[in-house]
Amino acid sequence: MERRALLSQWLVTGGSLALAGISAVPSFIAAISPALRGRSDHGWQPLGRLDDFPEGAVVRAEVEVPRPDASRALREKGVYVWRASPDETVVYSRNCTDLSCPVTFDEGSECFFCPCHGGIFARNGERLAGPPNRPLDRYATRVKDGVLEIDLNSLPAFT
Amino acid sequence: MGRWREWAADRFGWKPLADTVLHRRVASGAWYFGDGATLALLLGVLVATGAAMSLTYSPGPETAHESVSRLTHDVILGWFVRALHYWAAGVMVVMLFFHLFREILVGGYKAPREGTWLVGVVMLFLVLAMSFTGYVLRWDERGFYAARVAMHTVHNVPVIGERLVLFLQGGDEAGPYMLTRFYAAHVILVPLFLLPLVGYHLYLVMLHGITSPTERRQPVATAEEQRRIYEADKNSPDRGATFYPATMLQSGAMAAVVFAGVVALAVFVGPRDIETEANLVQRSLPAEEWWFWWYSALIALLPPWLAPAFVVLFPILAFVALVLLPFLDRTPHRGIRNRPVWCVIVTACVVAMLWLTDLRRRSPWTGWPDPEPPPVPAGVELAPDVERGRQLFARFGCNSCHPVAGHGRQVGVDLTALGSPRARDEIRDYVLRPPEGVAMPAYQDQIDSGRMSREELELIVGFVHVAQTFPRNQ
Repeated sequence: MERRALLSQWLVTGGSLALAGISAVPSFIAAISPALRGRSDHGWQPLGRLDDFPEGAVVRAEVEVPRPDASRALREKGVYVWRASPDETVVYSRNCTDLSCPVTFDEGSECFFCPCHGGIFARNGERLAGPPNRPLDRYATRVKDGVLEIDLNSLPAFT
Repeated sequence: MGRWREWAADRFGWKPLADTVLHRRVASGAWYFGDGATLALLLGVLVATGAAMSLTYSPGPETAHESVSRLTHDVILGWFVRALHYWAAGVMVVMLFFHLFREILVGGYKAPREGTWLVGVVMLFLVLAMSFTGYVLRWDERGFYAARVAMHTVHNVPVIGERLVLFLQGGDEAGPYMLTRFYAAHVILVPLFLLPLVGYHLYLVMLHGITSPTERRQPVATAEEQRRIYEADKNSPDRGATFYPATMLQSGAMAAVVFAGVVALAVFVGPRDIETEANLVQRSLPAEEWWFWWYSALIALLPPWLAPAFVVLFPILAFVALVLLPFLDRTPHRGIRNRPVWCVIVTACVVAMLWLTDLRRRSPWTGWPDPEPPPVPAGVELAPDVERGRQLFARFGCNSCHPVAGHGRQVGVDLTALGSPRARDEIRDYVLRPPEGVAMPAYQDQIDSGRMSREELELIVGFVHVAQTFPRNQ
């Protein structure tokens, strides 16, 4: 009599867990699926002809985000291009290294300003003030057939 | 009519419910015990207005921003529903901290109310999550960059940071699925946990009661002692009351006053402005909503070595500290008057939060390009060279950081407050090469690259030399 009662209890508990699991486990896996997939592989994107970027200046440029399902307004991302010399080009992400507010380049002082917590960066990306603890992030760059390209995968996924 | 009422009460089980909830005896509370009812009312307002908005709001990134505009301008009383939702949300966060601090002051987490407290702590973080995910749904620049700040914070988590970002964002770009997931969180996932917890919390409050008058007067050592005291209090004529209508009236009064304030804000201030649609291209000055300003100011004050760890650890440590509180503070004293140490701590926290909120409102740390040169004080006429220097002061971004006579940004030192007046040579040397550790670019670099001419440098130095003598603070 007692063994049957115990068996019934085990059946109820185990059965309930199994039934719950059949919907819960696949749901959970579907929910976290982007974390399991990782990053896409179309990372290298063109920015424009290298010679169009003036030497010694920091200019705004826009890179196309290669996601076909990206919404209209988010299909392009702004970056800053600094052609330090004919052979050396640096492409900065606009993400402040504190908490990713968008920095703005001030042509007058040649500094980058973050509107949020007072992050200030010099033209070479070095941190001058505020809570950021590292210089401005730089995209990996290459020049292909005279076109400047950046690797979107060279910086973290939230950039 | 009476027979139909009796029939309904019997078939729909109203009588046991009324007896257990409405007609029970409870201990009397002070005026501030109405904060729970206030939170419940605000939650109800948020659910009702949120449900109404969900009939117009479109949760896709192509259409979300436009649907919020449509809700505000095309839907009859849409602006009011949006405004009520926005202000109820902000005031709810304020009341949440009021309730948290009030319970700490009273000692409402002591035996046998530890369970009530722990459920409440979880609810605190869920409501804060709601108050954050909600404004992202506007999908304007403000909401969008707020979401990106959250992603950056999450990325600071060691080891699993990148995976967490991919999970929350729904992919490797802040793109289409991020809004979907924030919408799902705000409308379905968090309410799915929050609303049952509200019910559970209310059940526990019913079970263990509020901290009664005698509890607030004498030390109470154990749960058993508390139950005896509470039983005596609730049944006594002067220390107890019947929940309906007496207690409901008292706590309802506070709820009504706060709600009147929310309605006034909704009518006279209106809903939050909708800013430019979310994009990653335009220059932007985003900011979080006002109930988070104290936290933002705290981050701005952090040194660089602490900042990345702080944004991750602070919420976690706060959660752990709140959870451990009933187990760390086992003194028998309850009631605000018997807890002077906590009075000091809570007062300090409240003062700090108010001061930090005002600091963020001013944001003196924000440098930003400004095409307008600093104003000339009344009655002062500048020589032509000094006037040219004044124009160049803006052109070369000096006023992006430096105020003059109180006008402008406040990052750098005010040029009328340099201490003793500086000679031209001193000023020139400083501008060309500021000392180590000063957050100012070396303009020698601009001279070397030819961007700034020697003549322009002299004109700027000339202006600064004269501006030193401007009368301070117009």
